[in-house]
Amino acid sequence: MATTTATLILSSADVTGHNFSMTQTATLTKAASSTGLDEFTGITSRTYAGAQANTIIIAKGDYVDTTVSHKVYIRNTSTGNSDYILVELEDDVIVGRLYPGDWMFIPYLGVLNVEVTTIATNVSIEYGVFSQSTVS
Amino acid sequence: MATITATINLTSPDITGDPLNLSKTSVLNKAATATGLDQFTGITTVVYAAAQTARCIVLADDASGLSGYADTSVAHKVYIKNSSTGSSDFVTVELGGSNIIMGRLYPGDWCFFPYDGTLDVDIDTSAANMKVEYAVFSQSTAS
Repeated sequence: MATTTATLILSSADVTGHNFSMTQTATLTKAASSTGLDEFTGITSRTYAGAQANTIIIAKGDYVDTTVSHKVYIRNTSTGNSDYILVELEDDVIVGRLYPGDWMFIPYLGVLNVEVTTIATNVSIEYGVFSQSTVS
Repeated sequence: MATITATINLTSPDITGDPLNLSKTSVLNKAATATGLDQFTGITTVVYAAAQTARCIVLADDASGLSGYADTSVAHKVYIKNSSTGSSDFVTVELGGSNIIMGRLYPGDWCFFPYDGTLDVDIDTSAANMKVEYAVFSQSTAS
């Protein structure tokens, strides 16, 4: 099986009274297992000509659900600072807004679609799913 | 205002036919501005003696105004990690009063996502003695 790692580095010289720097690395494995995730969509890049409303970017039907350890990566690749992407789980459950340059990395259970809403034209996005098959 | 950066590195030599090596850095700014986020909870670390159900770790803005975060037009960010050991004890990340499930964090897994301050972030833990760490980078209403 594949070996995939996800590393997060958070740093700031001035958000607290002292330097803050944190690095966390996770090896992406199947649920309750040391076996690596074995599926990946690749990184999809899209530029939406028009504003989007609840556009499905990750369809629940494409994935095994419930006892899983899927991961979702999404990034707003637009420029400027105002054209946000509203990320929602199915039925308008708002996760939050990704402003240009912002990214997110979340666990995904496979039971709800992941959707995006944009407010402007020509908003660009990239996303990918690391997931587990039912192969042991 | 503060300057905070968040970098993600996704790497794999073998999940596709070609090596994956993605690295993206974001400067965490207030919504629709080039001004940095100015609030940080610090990293909270908790060891739960017993399994938890719908344990609120990030409290949305509430009517009393006594707690929570500015909402709607915001660029808050939430970090959560399952710091437990082994491979089976998972943290379920949930949103809102209906506890809509985002997904499961197995030991060592972390997540980082935008937060609009309108829904609580809750967790369930699957076992006793699980360690979880979490934090919020947020924006005040100061300009």
